[in-house]
Amino acid sequence: MIRRIAPLAVVAVVALGSYYGTLAAAPYGLMRLAEAKLTKTAPVNHFTHTPPVRAERQFVVRPSPDLLYSVCPYDLTAGPLEVTAVLVPGRYSSISVFDARTDNAYVRNDEEMAGKPMRVVLALEGQAVPAGVETVRVRYATGIILQRVLLADPSEAAAVDPIREKAQCRTLAG
Amino acid sequence: MKAVLKWVGLIVVGLALGSGLAVWQIRTGGLGNDVRVGPWTTGRDVGTADADIKTRAIVALRGLLALPAKEARYFTAATDSAGAPLSGKCRYAMTGGDIAARWWSVTLYDRGGWLIPNRWSRYSIGSARIPAGQAEHWTVQIGPDEQPGLWIPTGTDGPFELTLRAYRPQGEMARDPSRISLPTITKGECRP
Repeated sequence: MIRRIAPLAVVAVVALGSYYGTLAAAPYGLMRLAEAKLTKTAPVNHFTHTPPVRAERQFVVRPSPDLLYSVCPYDLTAGPLEVTAVLVPGRYSSISVFDARTDNAYVRNDEEMAGKPMRVVLALEGQAVPAGVETVRVRYATGIILQRVLLADPSEAAAVDPIREKAQCRTLAG
Repeated sequence: MKAVLKWVGLIVVGLALGSGLAVWQIRTGGLGNDVRVGPWTTGRDVGTADADIKTRAIVALRGLLALPAKEARYFTAATDSAGAPLSGKCRYAMTGGDIAARWWSVTLYDRGGWLIPNRWSRYSIGSARIPAGQAEHWTVQIGPDEQPGLWIPTGTDGPFELTLRAYRPQGEMARDPSRISLPTITKGECRP
């Protein structure tokens, strides 16, 4: 009896482990692919301000054509990252941080900032950060920071660009 | 030697079965299936560390960089309100009312989540385009041919899906989306 069941049990246990292993690994793998695709045109630890989304110009799956995106693929290996931005007042805009597992680690929008400039430091556990600065501790060294700015009409992009281009990522000394 | 090969073979079969099932579920799974409102589905924990392992994997493939629910709700429809798959050969009337959010939009994608090229470079309709007098009752036409008023071209003869984004959701939209009303999608004529 055991001789008959043992092969089936091995297949079942390996299949179960493989199933959960694949599901667990997929977000990391897909995020790495997205980072690799992005860094062909967007340098690491710098914001790149992309033009309005069109079918011929999609940097990530399911982009919104109603938003202007700025992307900063980050790598904290050399030290914490300072993110500064002025969120566009009067229209939806936000800065969000996604870690290597695709989880959202941080998000702030224009209403929450109420016109104040944003300054936040992204750091791994144990990395020294400047005193008195809002700090976000992340578990993984890499990820993507995204600025979203709502466009009611694509023609508004030119007026919004000077404000969204104030967003910066900068590595602090490690 | 024969016994070793047998066990190796069993392990390979197990690996193939488990990973094959996982890949199939990731590729075909809905973008958050735990809340259904008419033809629309959404997930409660999209983009957060609370998301279950399967939701996180599906979102990574089909909705990477999605925001958490307090910032945005994402609803996806792959069928009309009668349950038939959305087809680029058909015309649809999407009719809705007030959506409790600071801003909302509906965007048309292929089944992989990519914008479909069309000669109008038109992919979505947002709340900013709804005339003030129609905010409580509006209709957007969706179809392969240009139409007057609010419309989105399908750009394909193949299947498509719609994503409704509600940024800065309010009220029940923020608390419990299973209790809200969302636009209906009614099929009209189809090309042969």
